[in-house]
Amino acid sequence: MKKFKGLFTALLCAAIIAVPAVSYAGEITVFAAASMTESLNKIAGMYKKAAPNTKIVYNFDSSGTLKTQIQQGAPCDIFISAGQKQMNQLDIKADPKVNTEKLDFVMPGTRFNIVSNRVVLIVPKGHNTTGIKDFKDAATDKVKLIALGNSDVPVGQYSTDIFKSLGIWDKLNADKKITFGSNVKEVLAQVEAGAVSCGVVYSTDAATAKKGTVEIVAEAPAGSHKPIVYPAAVMKNAKNAAEAKAFCEFLKNDACKKVFESIGFSIPKK
Amino acid sequence: MRPSGLSDSMYRIGADFMDWFPLYNSLRVAAIATFITFFVGIFAAEYVARTPRLVKGLLDCILTLPLVLPPTVVGFFLLKTIGPFGPVGSRVLAWFGFQMTMTWYSAIFATTIVSFPLMYRTVRGAFESFDKTLLYSGQTLGLSDSFLFWRVKMPNCKQGILAGTVLAFARALGEYGATTMVTGYIPGRTATISTTVYQLWREGNDLLAYKWVGINLIISAIVLIAVNMLENKYRQPVSSARDDLEAED
Repeated sequence: MKKFKGLFTALLCAAIIAVPAVSYAGEITVFAAASMTESLNKIAGMYKKAAPNTKIVYNFDSSGTLKTQIQQGAPCDIFISAGQKQMNQLDIKADPKVNTEKLDFVMPGTRFNIVSNRVVLIVPKGHNTTGIKDFKDAATDKVKLIALGNSDVPVGQYSTDIFKSLGIWDKLNADKKITFGSNVKEVLAQVEAGAVSCGVVYSTDAATAKKGTVEIVAEAPAGSHKPIVYPAAVMKNAKNAAEAKAFCEFLKNDACKKVFESIGFSIPKK
Repeated sequence: MRPSGLSDSMYRIGADFMDWFPLYNSLRVAAIATFITFFVGIFAAEYVARTPRLVKGLLDCILTLPLVLPPTVVGFFLLKTIGPFGPVGSRVLAWFGFQMTMTWYSAIFATTIVSFPLMYRTVRGAFESFDKTLLYSGQTLGLSDSFLFWRVKMPNCKQGILAGTVLAFARALGEYGATTMVTGYIPGRTATISTTVYQLWREGNDLLAYKWVGINLIISAIVLIAVNMLENKYRQPVSSARDDLEAED
């Protein structure tokens, strides 16, 4: 028995070392903006048929949170942001005025624009008692409370741009009418629950909200904010770079484009 | 925008920290919640001690539940109840015209519920270890029940009650999960220290976040030092009529 103890220990160690290696192969971690939840889940289902050996693990949250997590070393193969700002902050090739911390997480040659989106004003369906019709109504008594994304949430940044271009941003803050949400789904949840008079989300969120809970009353005026383009890229420290690149190629195909368009996204020309 | 009448140096110190609202809001919410929890906790502890065994066990479980549940679960149930579409919230909105969520006082519901079990269990523990022979002696002297409760039982359980109050206040001050769900985050209206620190972290404003952490530490230190001083002042040997009787032998 003593003779085999050493052999047994060696085999046990080999088994322990081998197990993690087996569980990592064929798994890619995708950090994606919360507004992509429905579409990416559908696409994961489609990808299972195309590449049955690859398991896709999603982490959906606001792009600001995801960028911070990546920066602090969270394992991530692909990052899809709801705004260029967060991707630029991780890209060494971006404007140093945006990438102030000189972070270098983006694998060169893998960055592309995956979808684009619109920003809309929504109200709880059937509870628009004051008749909110426009973004400008936020500054009037028609709106008691408005839910917006935080300043580190892309939809929050677009909201700020829109209200600044309408000249009512300062008044909204002074009147203390804004409740800031941590991501776009939180803003949506508050409008659905009727906790606020209205909120600003993406058209995709409004389209995929539970039926009959919210309705769109206005679209952001043209030119009031930068075009909303979602960049995607493979991360430099990806554990599965090859599989990640393969999934990125899959995301560019026609079947995926149809899924994106079906929930309100549009496909950028480039 | 510079308030008139403030000297230059005063304004510069103030301008660093323009918004003291989270401190004011956190303190008032915690103070009101502790005030409510103090009375409700004591009366619940007293009432439950008198119930039959089975009922006591069940009530104990229900009343301690908020301590075990994650605060976000408490927040979720609260929203479903007092939210504008919930059974309570919708009626309040229809009859009285005001919303129960997304206001500063919504935090009071959340913090009272999560701090209640701390007060309740601590006081119940103090009441259970209270020597009932003191009550019996008082009854033989013809003292009323309420006199016995307020002037005999309570003073003898001072330490337990004080401990419970401090725990409840500390919990109320540090409440985040249920509060953020029920009040949202409206700077200058519903922001508390905990939701503000979270917000500042998200915005990457570490400097201001550290300042708020510092303020919180100072408040905690003051509360704990005050409690220590009070405990020493109230420290009394745990008296028991039985001890006195044995000593006579």
